[in-house]
Amino acid sequence: MHSGKGSKNAVKSWTALFPALLFIGLIILFPIGYTAYISLTNMNIFNWFDFRIIGFGNYRRALFVFNSGFLRALVVTVLWTALNMVFQLAIAFVMASLLNVRKLRLRRVYKTVLMFPWAMPGYVSILLWRHGMFNAQFGLVNQWLYTLGMEPRRWLADDFSAFVICMVVNLWLALPFMIMIMDGALQSLDKSYYESALIDGAGWFTRSVRLTIPAIRPIIAPAVIITLFTTFKQFDVIYLMTKQIGARTGANIHTVLTYAYESAFVTRNYGYSSAVSISIFVMLIGFSVLVAFLRRRGQKA
Amino acid sequence: MKRIYLYGMAMLIFIVLAGCGSRQDDGDGPVVLTIWHDKEAEVAAALQGKLDELRPDIVVTLERKSGLTETLKMVGNNPNAAPDMFFFAHDKIGVYAEMRILSPITDFVDAGVLAQFLPKTIEAATYNGVVYQLPLYFETLLFMHNRALMGDDEVPADTRELFRFMQRATGGGHFGFIEQFTNAYFVGGWIHGFGGELITADGVPRLNSPEVVAALHYYGRLVRLMPSEAEFATINTLFRESRAAATIGGPWLIPSVREAGIDLGLAPMPVVSETGMPLAPFMGVQGLHVLRVAAENPRRNEAIRTVLNHLVSTDIGVALARASGSAPALAASFDLSVIYNDEMVMMMKETAQSAIPMPNIPEMDIMWTVAAGMLVDIHFRGHEVERATETAQNRAEDLIALMR
Repeated sequence: MHSGKGSKNAVKSWTALFPALLFIGLIILFPIGYTAYISLTNMNIFNWFDFRIIGFGNYRRALFVFNSGFLRALVVTVLWTALNMVFQLAIAFVMASLLNVRKLRLRRVYKTVLMFPWAMPGYVSILLWRHGMFNAQFGLVNQWLYTLGMEPRRWLADDFSAFVICMVVNLWLALPFMIMIMDGALQSLDKSYYESALIDGAGWFTRSVRLTIPAIRPIIAPAVIITLFTTFKQFDVIYLMTKQIGARTGANIHTVLTYAYESAFVTRNYGYSSAVSISIFVMLIGFSVLVAFLRRRGQKA
Repeated sequence: MKRIYLYGMAMLIFIVLAGCGSRQDDGDGPVVLTIWHDKEAEVAAALQGKLDELRPDIVVTLERKSGLTETLKMVGNNPNAAPDMFFFAHDKIGVYAEMRILSPITDFVDAGVLAQFLPKTIEAATYNGVVYQLPLYFETLLFMHNRALMGDDEVPADTRELFRFMQRATGGGHFGFIEQFTNAYFVGGWIHGFGGELITADGVPRLNSPEVVAALHYYGRLVRLMPSEAEFATINTLFRESRAAATIGGPWLIPSVREAGIDLGLAPMPVVSETGMPLAPFMGVQGLHVLRVAAENPRRNEAIRTVLNHLVSTDIGVALARASGSAPALAASFDLSVIYNDEMVMMMKETAQSAIPMPNIPEMDIMWTVAAGMLVDIHFRGHEVERATETAQNRAEDLIALMR
C-alpha cells in the first residue's frame, strides 16, 4: 500500500520526468508510430496529400522485397555483424590493455590519436577510404602496388575483397568507441586482484581470460549491445564505399538496409517503404529479444 | 529551483507553439515573395540583382535550401512553410505535378511569350501537356579535347574515328577518350545516338530494346580502353592532368580545366558510325516553378506574374548563363554578340539540337538507379549485355509497378 507521501513523491517524479518523456516520445516513439500508420496507407507521390488507409496490402507487397536477394542480404548482415563484433572486441581489448601497461610513456598522445577517427565526420572518413585509399586509378594502395612493380587492381569490384575492405573501414570508424569503453572498464578494476594473480604466477593470457574479461563484461555489455545494433543496421559504410550513384564499384554486397533502400525506397512509395521499414524493425526487435535471452542464459550459466 | 523549472517548461511550450505559427500575410505594404534555390552564389546574386529592380512594390528573397527536393515534398502544400517559387532543374517536374503542388506557368506567362524560348527548353518544362517551369538557362554535355593531345584536325567526326584514336592514344596511364561510363546520364548520349531510350514518355522502360543492346555492345569496346574507375573525380582529374586527350563532360568542368592551363577545344558530338546520328546527351533546363499554394493568394498571384514576366528578358538570361557556365533559354539571347562570340555557349546550343531533355516523369528516378546498376554489371562485373539489359528491364518494371 502506498502512503500519501509516497504518492505525492511519485506525482512529483513523473512531473519532473514529463518533459524528458515528451521529448523521447517526440523523437523516438512518434516516428515509429507514424511510420506504422503510413505503412497502412497508399501514400506515394500520386496520392501525396490525399492518401487513405488500405489495410495490410503494403505488407503483402513487402514480401516482394523479402525474396532470395533479401535472404542473401540478411545472411551477409549477420556475417557482417558477427565478424565486426569479434574483431572489434578483440582489437579493442588488446589496444586498451596496451594503453594500460604500467609506465607507458605518451599514454595521452596514443589515446588522442586513437580517438581521431571518431572525431572525424563518418561521411568524410568513408569517402577518404573510398577515393584516397582504394580508388583503382589514383588510390594509395594501387600506387604502392605500382611502385612495387605489381599490377593495380579494382579492390572494390569483387564481393569478397569489397566486404573485407568495408569491414576494415567500419573497424576504423568503430574502434575508438570500443577502445574508450574498454579502457574505462580496465581502469575501474581493482589492481589488488592482479597482484594476487601475479604472485600465483598467472601470465597475461590467463589473467585476461580468468580475471579481466569476467570483470569487465558487465561494464562493457551496454556498449557491446549498442554497437551490435549499430553494426546490424549499417548503411553508410557499404553504400558509400560501393554503391553511390555515379561511383558504383561493381561489388554486389548488401546489408538488409542497403537492399531495402534499392528495392523499396527508390520507388518513392512511402506506404510500401514504411511497410518494409516496419518489417525490418520487427526483425530487429526479434534480434534484440534473442540477444537479451542469450545474455540472460549466459549470466545464469 | 521550482521557479526555474516552471520557467523552463513555459519556454519549451512557447518554442513548440512558435513553430506552429502562421506566416504573416501581406497587408498593404510590399508583397514579399520567397524563392528557394540550390544554386551557386554567383547565380543567385545575378538573379537577385534583376529581381531587386521590382522593389519597392515587390520584394523577392532568394533562400538557398540544401535538400530542396525533399523539403518541398514535406511542405509543398503548406502555405505557412512553402516558398512562393523555387529555382531548380526541370527533371523533378513530374514528381511535383503528380503531388499537385505546382501551378502551370501558363497561368502567369502568355503562350506567345513562351514561344520566345528555345523549343527544347519548353519541351523540357512540359509534363502531361502543361508547362510548369519558366526556363532561364540550360546545360548539355560537351565534347572536350585537350589540343596538346588531340589537335583540332584530329577531332573525330564519328565514333569509328574516335575508337581508332583511342586505340592509338591509350597506354602507359594515358587515355584517348574517357567519360563516366557507369553513369546513365553520360551513357544516355550513346543510347540516344543508336535510336534507343531509357524510358518512354509514358513511363515504360526500354532497357532491353534492340537499340539499347546495340549501343551497349558498341560502347563496351570503347570502355575497354577507358580507366578502371568511372566516377566523377577520377575522370575529371585524368582530363585536368592531361592524361586523357578527350572527354564528354559538363560545362561545370571547364573553369577547372582552363585553370589547369589546358588548351581546351570544344567540338560537336561525334556521329555514331552505325546509325548516322550524333551522340545525343541529356539536357537539363533550370528555371522557376510556382507553388500552387502561393498562386491561390490573389495578391501573391499578381506579384508572381510580374516577377516571371520581368525575367523574360535577354539580359537576365545572359547574366545567369554566364554566372552558371550554361546557355540562355531565351532564343533572342543568341543574337547578342556576348553570346554569339562565346564558343562554349554556342557549342552547347549546337549540341542542344540533338540533345534529349532529361525525362521529367516520376519513373525516371528509378531508371537512374536501375540503369547505373546495369552499366556496372556490364562494365565491372563482366555480365553479357543481353543478360544485364534483360535483368535491368525486369527490375525497372517491378519497381515502377511498386511506385503506385
